[in-house]
Amino acid sequence: METNSILRCENGSTRILKQLCFSIPENRITTIIGPSGAGKSSLIMLLNRLENLDNGTIYYKGNNINDYPVTELRREIGMVFQSAYLFDGTVEDNLKYGPSLQNKWDSKNADKLLDLVDLPSSYKLRAVTTLSGGEQQRVALARTLANKPNVLLLDEATSALDVNTTKIIEQLLERIQQEDDITMVMVTHNLAQSMRIGDFSLYLQEGKLIESGVTKELLDNPSTKELKNFLNIKKA
Amino acid sequence: MDTTEISNLSLTFLIVFVIIPVSLSYWFSLGLSKSIVWSSFRGVVQLFLIGYVLTFLFSIPDWQGIALWVTVMVLVATINASKRGGNIPKVRMVVFLIIAIIEVSVLALWLGFGYITFTADKVIPISGMVIGNSMIAIGLALERLQSQFKEERGRILAALSLGATPKQSSLMIVRKSLKAAMIPNIDGLKTIGLVQLPGMMTGLILGGVSPLDAVKYQIVISLSIFVSVAICAMLVTMVLYKTFFNDKMQLKVIDK
Repeated sequence: METNSILRCENGSTRILKQLCFSIPENRITTIIGPSGAGKSSLIMLLNRLENLDNGTIYYKGNNINDYPVTELRREIGMVFQSAYLFDGTVEDNLKYGPSLQNKWDSKNADKLLDLVDLPSSYKLRAVTTLSGGEQQRVALARTLANKPNVLLLDEATSALDVNTTKIIEQLLERIQQEDDITMVMVTHNLAQSMRIGDFSLYLQEGKLIESGVTKELLDNPSTKELKNFLNIKKA
Repeated sequence: MDTTEISNLSLTFLIVFVIIPVSLSYWFSLGLSKSIVWSSFRGVVQLFLIGYVLTFLFSIPDWQGIALWVTVMVLVATINASKRGGNIPKVRMVVFLIIAIIEVSVLALWLGFGYITFTADKVIPISGMVIGNSMIAIGLALERLQSQFKEERGRILAALSLGATPKQSSLMIVRKSLKAAMIPNIDGLKTIGLVQLPGMMTGLILGGVSPLDAVKYQIVISLSIFVSVAICAMLVTMVLYKTFFNDKMQLKVIDK
């Protein structure tokens, strides 16, 4: 599978993470897997500078991410969290939040964004408190997509949802990734999910990157005893 | 000015009124008896002590009495209000400066417009009202600011991840903190005179001042307090929300 890397980390370390070296391939879905406390969420928050490396460098499109204005970088590398964290108000209030910060909101975009996440356009006037968990997460996804990011970070974005809703969101993500050529980096504790939608995967344990590669190869033929043990525990 | 002197004996009879809630608490097993007795006793002793302190302050040259007691009031208010700010960096210094600046400004305004004269018996009680209300407002604002940054951490991170600056991402929290700080004064001002007569106005009327003159004083006091509270709450939240972020526009973890 030939790809260019859009994000690359060299010798990155923080209080939790140690000696990280990895690349995130462009226009693919990369999953970050590992046991609880491995540092998966900390790692993903480094990529849009919600957290900082103590040592090492992360490159975005070949340039040090510290050289980008931080607000611009976060618009280009959007993020969806485990909870939707919607703002008070209507669905449209949420969709326009990012673009409005730059005075770039066009109200026609609301319909397009809702269509992108398979929600009817009538939803834009609904109060966010009236939405189901799955609908809230779709609005959160659409809110992030409103900034037209190149990279989408998803931190356990489906872990709070039921199985059916999770599969619907996965299909949505795959469709958006293919149609819009977005690079996705997804933290998940769900190996089946990683297998279903991941092109590449990174396996993290105790703050260290243990193994990485094409998802299917990595999960079918792990080469390290740590990943083998993890897969055995998950199977059991 | 006609004043009715309260004798020590008649004051002692007030104890009877304290016995009523104590008995009710005992009867209904509310467990409040101790608190009622202790707070009543403490309140009486504190007020007598303040009476002696004020008598002393009014007996020394005005500027000395004012400087001494206003400094004490500002310091006590700073310590008390800052406690609500938990571990917010620089909270004590910021609160001290805000209360001191507000007190000096209000005092300058009153003296400039001739509402009061620069005498200890005028400046000290009125300063107490401004400083006390500012202290309460700042305490409420700080408490709300701190708890909101904890509760709304996820939403702030979401806003930051959408390209918001710390100021933009904290706007909802700053608004809620300001509301919490100002609502008691806004409600108080809206119903002033309708629900209860303000303490100072009541005091003046009891002291024999005509209601219309008492009202004029009360307007000066109420508006001064309202403006001071609003400015204090705004300044403290607008200055201190920044301390929840680092220079890389990242949200810091601040434990209470």
